[in-house]
Amino acid sequence: MDIFITALPTILKAMAMGAVPILLASLGELFSERGGLVNIGLEGIMAVGAFVGFAVAKVTGNLWMGLLVAMLAGIAVNMIYAFCTVTLCSDQVVTSMAINILAPAIALFGYNLFVGANPANATGEQMASIAIPGLSQIPFIGDALFNQTPVAYLAFLLVPCVAVFFSRFRAGLSFRSVGENPQAAETLGINVVRMKYVACVVCGALAAAGGAFLTLCYTPIYTDGIVMGRGFIALATLIFGRWNAFGVLAASLLFGFFDGTSVALQAQFQAAPIMFFKMIPYVFTIVALIFFGSRSAGPKASGKPYLREQR
Amino acid sequence: MAELLRMTNISKRFGSFYANKNVNLEVERGEVHTLLGENGAGKSTLMNVLIGLYQPTEGTISINGKEVRIASPADAVAQGIGMVHQHFMLIENMTGLENIILGDKRHKSLMLQKADDRKTVEELMERYGLEIDLDERVGEMSIGMQQRVEIMKVLFRGAELLILDEPTAVLTDLEVQGLFDIMNSLTSEGKSIIFISHKMREVMQISDRVTVLRRGESVETVRVADTTEQELADLMIGQKFTESVYEKVEEAGAPELTLKNVSYHPEVKHGGLKDVSLTIHRGEILGVAGIDGNGQTPLAELVTGLISPESGEVTGPDGAKIALFSPEAFIGAGVGNIPEDRNKMGLVGDMTVAENLVLKQTTSDRFSSGHGAWLKMGAIAEFAEEKRQENDIRCTSVNQTARSLSGGNQQKVILARELDGAPTLLVAVYPTRGLDIGATEFIHKQIVAQRDAGCAVLLISADFDEVLKLSDRIVVLFEGEIMGTYPGANPPIKEISLAMAGK
Amino acid sequence: MTKSKHTLSAEERREKTLMVLTPVASVLLALIVGAIIIACLGKNPLQGYAALLQGSLGDLPKIGKTLERACPLIFTGLAAVFAYKCGVFNLGGEGQFIMGGCATALTVFGLGLTGPAALALGLIAGIVVGGIWGLLPGIMKITRGLNEMITTIMLNYVAMYFMEFVFKNLFSDQGLPKTPAIPKDGRLPELLSAHIGVLMAIILGIVIWYVLFRTSFGFKIRATGMNQTAARVNGFPVRRLVLLSFVISGAIAGMGGSIELLGKAPYRLADGFGSGFGFDGVAIALIAQLNPIAAIVVAILFGILSTGGTMMQSVIGVPTAIIDITRGLIIIFAVAGMAMIKLPAIKAFIASIGSKSKKVEANA
Repeated sequence: MDIFITALPTILKAMAMGAVPILLASLGELFSERGGLVNIGLEGIMAVGAFVGFAVAKVTGNLWMGLLVAMLAGIAVNMIYAFCTVTLCSDQVVTSMAINILAPAIALFGYNLFVGANPANATGEQMASIAIPGLSQIPFIGDALFNQTPVAYLAFLLVPCVAVFFSRFRAGLSFRSVGENPQAAETLGINVVRMKYVACVVCGALAAAGGAFLTLCYTPIYTDGIVMGRGFIALATLIFGRWNAFGVLAASLLFGFFDGTSVALQAQFQAAPIMFFKMIPYVFTIVALIFFGSRSAGPKASGKPYLREQR
Repeated sequence: MAELLRMTNISKRFGSFYANKNVNLEVERGEVHTLLGENGAGKSTLMNVLIGLYQPTEGTISINGKEVRIASPADAVAQGIGMVHQHFMLIENMTGLENIILGDKRHKSLMLQKADDRKTVEELMERYGLEIDLDERVGEMSIGMQQRVEIMKVLFRGAELLILDEPTAVLTDLEVQGLFDIMNSLTSEGKSIIFISHKMREVMQISDRVTVLRRGESVETVRVADTTEQELADLMIGQKFTESVYEKVEEAGAPELTLKNVSYHPEVKHGGLKDVSLTIHRGEILGVAGIDGNGQTPLAELVTGLISPESGEVTGPDGAKIALFSPEAFIGAGVGNIPEDRNKMGLVGDMTVAENLVLKQTTSDRFSSGHGAWLKMGAIAEFAEEKRQENDIRCTSVNQTARSLSGGNQQKVILARELDGAPTLLVAVYPTRGLDIGATEFIHKQIVAQRDAGCAVLLISADFDEVLKLSDRIVVLFEGEIMGTYPGANPPIKEISLAMAGK
Repeated sequence: MTKSKHTLSAEERREKTLMVLTPVASVLLALIVGAIIIACLGKNPLQGYAALLQGSLGDLPKIGKTLERACPLIFTGLAAVFAYKCGVFNLGGEGQFIMGGCATALTVFGLGLTGPAALALGLIAGIVVGGIWGLLPGIMKITRGLNEMITTIMLNYVAMYFMEFVFKNLFSDQGLPKTPAIPKDGRLPELLSAHIGVLMAIILGIVIWYVLFRTSFGFKIRATGMNQTAARVNGFPVRRLVLLSFVISGAIAGMGGSIELLGKAPYRLADGFGSGFGFDGVAIALIAQLNPIAAIVVAILFGILSTGGTMMQSVIGVPTAIIDITRGLIIIFAVAGMAMIKLPAIKAFIASIGSKSKKVEANA
């Protein structure tokens, strides 16, 4: 237990860091599925976001510019998905799987060109943390929780915004109706196709932001496979967050906690085979799904193609 | 009273088939006007024309004496017409209030004005006596309240004419009374209602006038005060064939399957069975008549082994109680099944006609060797070709996907498969739904031939004519209960049609 | 009478042709886009593609290398085909592949096997453990209704770290992060400059085709995958079939991992073993439209792109990631194309072209 107490700040710090990229991607998927689109291509979009954020930040020296362009790139990639699934009515799972194959290849290609041209490009910029005066002075947990990068603060701030959007805004209500019952939405004059495209824009931007967080705030380098399944964990997070912004936040933090625990345990038990600690988040995801994984809470029409002519 | 709506000489043609032909309908302000007719009489088509889902082939619509064109559901709303569909268009994961205000554009603000809208809705609730828990999730509401949400959606958008499509079909008696109170308060405030129903008692109770549709044509409009249930039933059903082209059997064989006091979710009026007892004999067609959704689906699933009864017992030909309910076991016992939905349950659409023909027999020695391991492609192809010719299945090849066949030919594929190997019990559910006359005749002949060969047949159909034509004995199913058993030869049609309406 | 047995209507034929043409067109289109990217980098795409062909099919050893590169992809592709045929979206090919490799390594090194015993037992262990790794998500799906896409991916990472444990902790080669090589006499023999695992993969593909299309078991698998409700109504044991397809799919991938370890240099587990093969397998299955024979062809095409890509890189100096992009484009184009030809509007358009050309034929 003592070990746990001493490790707590490390765990909390890693928890917050580990939660942010998953939170962002999961919120993106929340928009997508609320709009009736299952997108398992988060992993790929995050890879593009991670690389673009890394490269643009390095070139411009402006981390915020990196984040912004990464989000635009994420939107661009997700428009391929949007066009195929919404306009061509292709299978959503198959299409987003294709994105998972194409998008990391684009990222890797870009990286090869970028670093191949100049090996000095291999290490990028890193965003500095900002300590919140006062709160960060709290002993034990202050530094862990209130000394974060601005992107992390923004990500956490996004949670109530998303919740308010879906509960208080007219567009939020219409949005939800599209994922639940597009026919009913259409009879009430809601433009289902436009809503779905908007969902894809938001999803692409947020997932890419999650990816960019990895290279801008987590580690200053890009490597192939840097996303490490976080895109898929974000899908699971959405399920046990019950398709709700605050639920997603809790689930992301829980995942981050296990991520953090794994990091702390690795530091504690250096002699032990650390790969078993590294497995923790993935095993935890499966266990969490086994206990809370009913899909029944999700949007009803999610995953089904919507052809307007079908009355 | 002033005229609100007039539909004149409306015709709607699909291909060469007239779903509506020269239909006239005139609705006054403040009246409940019933549209009465059997399944397929053209009621839904007419209403779909009125709310802009279909464009009429011929005819005109005028509202308040002015001719209008209704090109889309939005136009209908703008004209003050609102429809409450039989299958609700609600979003179950949202609250009542959210469903009502969804998509409404009266406010300029981007934010929802829930407080303001709530006031409007509450005023309407007060005025028309509509009780809705605005904060409950629709999915958790009773069916009756869901319906009130649908009505409120229409009122909130300012409808003057409400179309209620079989609104009582899903309600309990008590809820029906509540609905009628609401309808009365709506009409007393000058709104008009088009009420669609089969249930004679309700029609007599709530309507001011009734327009009867039969085979796509409007037969007559009568004042309820000037008519009787008997007269309306006559108008609706018309001259029936009482002399069937098929000979009826009066002496049936031994019992093949017996249901004794069987119940399955009896609390669900339109998806359950309540204390059902019936016996299907060999060499007999037992017809189950009734309006759609009165327990036909669970009955069919029960006798094919898809579901097991909650109480009561089912016995086989030897009088032994059946314990294992699984499709596999029932198929093994010789039950042939022409299921309700041929595309979903009967066929694997992406497989070929030949593959669908042998779907149930792939492990039989006839079509596979090595104890059901290897398929005998030659035998399958030969069999398929044989069945194709025998049943006149129109396809360019038996290697074509089943999906690409017409409905009639798809049904012939199922029939050919199910009748092969002479089943001892044949369950046919809506066997000719959506088929043309030729295919219908063919399937009827095949079913009768099975009976003559000694097979026990359970025919479940919402098409009353079909039940009358084929059945040797008729039972009527209403809200999951058997209302009565009638002879198939010279059936008491009026009595049966009233039983179907729950009387 | 017999004539009509195998004739199809004009519409059916057109549909079949389109189904074959779409992936072919997707490949061509992806290669064209690849050429444009190469040109944009200021290099000569023709020279690049020539190098690609030269590097992958230039001589017998190169062909052998290409086939060896394609071999694991054939396995993961077939694993995906088999699962999807039963409606199971198994994304865990990589994990099952890795676990197959691990099982082989553990068997061979753990029991100190050499010679044919190492080969035979190693292979069996790989198949069994791959099947078990496929069974896990199957049980989770059937008992708890868990989406197999997420669980299989999570199991991929678990497998990856488990493999790391094997080559770092259990059987490290002198403390280096890799296992020792499989003993020489325990490896798969070579045949025409490629190990016979390639031949086994191709035979397996044919067997799977046979099982799916010529046995009643395969018949039931396909029927369940295409319409689960109808399969149930018609008396098929749907849950058992779904579970079996998980296991068989996993066993195929596991066998792939085992053969990769036993057949292909450097004959050892190390970082990156099996990396990306799972997703490539998914792509292959989808491009091949779930036909096992076509999957072999597509896997070999992927093998050509991979081995040739290295040559292309060294000759005209473009990164091999271009090949990855081309592969990604093939699958995107194939998916989009397949969806497009099913759209009602496009269907009508194609039919109108078809009837027009027929009229022209008739006039001529």
